[in-house]
Amino acid sequence: MRRRKVLAALGTGAVTAVAGCLGGDDGEDGDDTPADTETPADTETPTDTETPANTETPTDDGSGESNDGGTTDGEQATLTVGTYGSFLDAPSVSPGARVKEEFESEFDATLEWAAPDQEINYYIERQRQGVDLDADMYLGLNTDELVRIDSELDDGLFAEAGDVGRVGDIREGLQFDPDGRALPFDTGYISPVYDSTEIEAPETFEGLLDDEYEGALIAQNPGTATTGRAFLFHTVHYFGEDGYLDFWADLQDNGVQILGSWSDAYSAWQEGEAPMVVSYSTDQVFAEADGADLAEHQIRFLNDQAYANPEGMAVFQNADEPELAREFMNFVLGPELQGIIAEQNVSFPATETATLSEDYNELAKEPPEPVTFSYNELKGSMEGWVEDWERQFISN
Amino acid sequence: MGSRQEHRDGDSPGREYLGPARRLLRGVVDRVGLTFVALASFVLLVVVFYYPVATVLVEAVLVDGRATLDIFVDILRDPFYFGEVARLFSGESPVAVAGDLLSADRRLGIVGFTAYQALLSTLASVALGVPAAYILARYEFPGRRTIRSLTILPFILPSIMVAVGFVATFGQNGPLNSALEAVGLPTFDLLYSLEAIIIAHAFYNAPLVARMTTAAWESVDASSVETARSLGASPFRAFRDVVAPQLYPAVLMGATLTFVFTFGTFPIVLALGGIEYVTVEYFVYRLIQDFDYAEAAGLALIELAISLSVLYGYLRYEARQSMQSRGARPLPRKPLRPPSLSVRALLVRVGIVCYGLVAVVVFVLPLANMVLASVTDAGGFTLSHYQFLLERQAEGAAFQVQPWPAIRNSLLFGVASLAVALPIGVVIAVLTTREYRGRKLVDTLAMAPLSVSGIVVGLGLLRGLVFGVELGDTRVAVGGALAIVAAHAVAGYPFVVRTVAPGLENLDDQLVESARALGASRTRALLDIELPLVWPGVVAGAAFAFALSIGEFSSTVILATGTDQFTMPVAIERFIGRRLGPATAMGVVLLVVTSVSFVVIDRLGGDHRGL
Repeated sequence: MRRRKVLAALGTGAVTAVAGCLGGDDGEDGDDTPADTETPADTETPTDTETPANTETPTDDGSGESNDGGTTDGEQATLTVGTYGSFLDAPSVSPGARVKEEFESEFDATLEWAAPDQEINYYIERQRQGVDLDADMYLGLNTDELVRIDSELDDGLFAEAGDVGRVGDIREGLQFDPDGRALPFDTGYISPVYDSTEIEAPETFEGLLDDEYEGALIAQNPGTATTGRAFLFHTVHYFGEDGYLDFWADLQDNGVQILGSWSDAYSAWQEGEAPMVVSYSTDQVFAEADGADLAEHQIRFLNDQAYANPEGMAVFQNADEPELAREFMNFVLGPELQGIIAEQNVSFPATETATLSEDYNELAKEPPEPVTFSYNELKGSMEGWVEDWERQFISN
Repeated sequence: MGSRQEHRDGDSPGREYLGPARRLLRGVVDRVGLTFVALASFVLLVVVFYYPVATVLVEAVLVDGRATLDIFVDILRDPFYFGEVARLFSGESPVAVAGDLLSADRRLGIVGFTAYQALLSTLASVALGVPAAYILARYEFPGRRTIRSLTILPFILPSIMVAVGFVATFGQNGPLNSALEAVGLPTFDLLYSLEAIIIAHAFYNAPLVARMTTAAWESVDASSVETARSLGASPFRAFRDVVAPQLYPAVLMGATLTFVFTFGTFPIVLALGGIEYVTVEYFVYRLIQDFDYAEAAGLALIELAISLSVLYGYLRYEARQSMQSRGARPLPRKPLRPPSLSVRALLVRVGIVCYGLVAVVVFVLPLANMVLASVTDAGGFTLSHYQFLLERQAEGAAFQVQPWPAIRNSLLFGVASLAVALPIGVVIAVLTTREYRGRKLVDTLAMAPLSVSGIVVGLGLLRGLVFGVELGDTRVAVGGALAIVAAHAVAGYPFVVRTVAPGLENLDDQLVESARALGASRTRALLDIELPLVWPGVVAGAAFAFALSIGEFSSTVILATGTDQFTMPVAIERFIGRRLGPATAMGVVLLVVTSVSFVVIDRLGGDHRGL
């Protein structure tokens, strides 16, 4: 059986499916696939003889709660959503399965997840190369990624969100796309987490420079980790473009350790390499689940602030199912889904109306003053910030 | 193992009873075997390696449709990358630059530092690898074969696992410091330093040096040593003049490969050293992330040029070595328990015990700590991470990575890519050991899959294969299991070339000529005469090619057309969220499955002289 599959895959040679995407049951592929009788079941590529499952979506507005994604021949419409891998697979932060389940039970449509390893860059590169995107929308977009897309692609990648009924429910200050394409669906806050049985963390950024905190902080590299980038942006926000590099020079002198990824840093912190680590303000949710002592997992909002990192979703310009995608976005902004995503992705809801459990509210900490850079502030500046930081920090 | 099967058939007395179909097949193999495999290899290499990689590298010299060398000039003149040497490229006097290079506050630049840490890592790997080879090749003790099979294990581990194991072993609160503290000695702080990076690199690469050197040592003919001794040479002299010269090529080959690998290192450096120690490959990654393809390609080409120069240097050296044909009778192994209580024998045994302790600290403790991490959480001992694996297997959705398919795919891809890499490697070894001008250049280029930036290969596969090319109205794209196998085979065959070519080079040409004179085709002579004589090298290459496939991550995840084609390393990566437990549990599954496979490969292919 296995052997036949392998041979069959050779037979077609033309499998235009998304890496990491199970589905790709969309019409685009059908045109590219030779109508080869050997087309294997496991490539998920419909042959020419098959009518593509989805063509036009005859919905009118994005507010409909019932069904949709109509089809021409009675088959269900398929919405393909690109996202990052851990949203689907990592047991600690993966609402993907639940979202699909809820969506499919409410709409007469199929939700296919795609999680290419290069995340949003995968779609940017497809667009640059003039290849079909093979997805209708992307979920899990940061502000800086949106800035990068717009500086890379003259015509952009996403369409305007259009008429999404629940946009009004989104909390003040979370909207990050001035052109109204990306809608935030959750947010996280990045701040130091510390072991209070070892030290009491400083109240301010300047406090991190005190002798008593020499070698006490582990952070991540802004070039390879979202948390590292957020923490760097926070220092730029606080000290200004002209001051952040001096602060980092002092912090480097005080022995800050910059590691590659969140997991490198967090596992080092857990092994006691340093008492403080840059992480998420939802840390206690995991600690509680692990049966850890919460005193060892304290959150410190430096200067009462934390850098907010809203995650957005947006519809691709050439989506096959733009209307269904809009309905999906509206659905995601609903009270129930907002609660599910926040709790399972261990983040905060994007709307005022989310249903969250009491325990969750208790353990997931929000800063008195969330700060973040807007799209326009990041545009044209952020790459320079990171590069200047790199060139200063690395001096071989 | 196809070629092995064939050479056994060739030896069997029952060959005249072959059926007509098999006789026909044999005839075809005899006549066109070599040519066919050579052509097929060439096509495969072009499709899954050279073309994809070229789509990226060309951006360094073709900017906005215009050919230019500006990118290189800019990089070469940037002190950030080239340190003091950059001033040389900017036209400053070599004397002044040389003076500053010798001063204490010299700047190496990223490229210089990358080479520097690779050199140190290579020295460390040789220092750790050669004694292991000595013990494995020269002593007999219980479990020797199993240990030899498992030496290659570190090679397959994802950097996340190594980071977990290393932090737990060498951290401030690790077992070593606890032990030192318990006996009142000062503790040490190894982590987040150049030393930690070098030890991690040795963890990965000393096994490579050890395996290659063990193979050479086991091929030393006992009679040559006995002759030297009978002529009055002391044991040391016999070693220095007879044994050592036969080991140098293998040690140097291991060292060269270690240099090339550690020169292209990246995630482990950021995990155990920190941002201060980033390498060239890190900047290739960063530039590609930011879509600065021209500079990324330029930097990757410079990286490639340096790696290939080192490889070329080694290959020139290898070509100059003319060893006697390998011995039929290996040196007898000594028992680990000393037969007599002579001072010499005791000293050597004390040395072995000391080395054993070092090996336990560098190799065994990190592995043990990986296992430990998979069964602990904040509350102490737990099996919940393994329970997660079982649950995911039972209830996981189709779009999620599931453990069993990942295990199955890893093994299937490993075996399949081995079956492809072996013939390619053997044929390229044959082609590069023939006498013609520039063959070492061809040999060097054949090593390119080891040396091209992994980040560039990834982007190339995406562009060249996954996105496909427009042919008429159809876009032809390649992906799925077969593409993964092909990519793994391309990454693995250079090991086969390197382990088989030296043996072929040293075979007496008359052997093949006699076989040809007796009517054997070139292919038949290879299968029946040459390969059996260099069998240990074939098995060593096979083990590395298999290991490379098992540990491969990036081309697998890029070429897979569905989660049902994901492998164990991909599963590990995907299970990382905000807790490492599930990923480490999957990592331990990878460790166990791979260990069993290595032992099985060793038993199947090793005979008593295998590697």
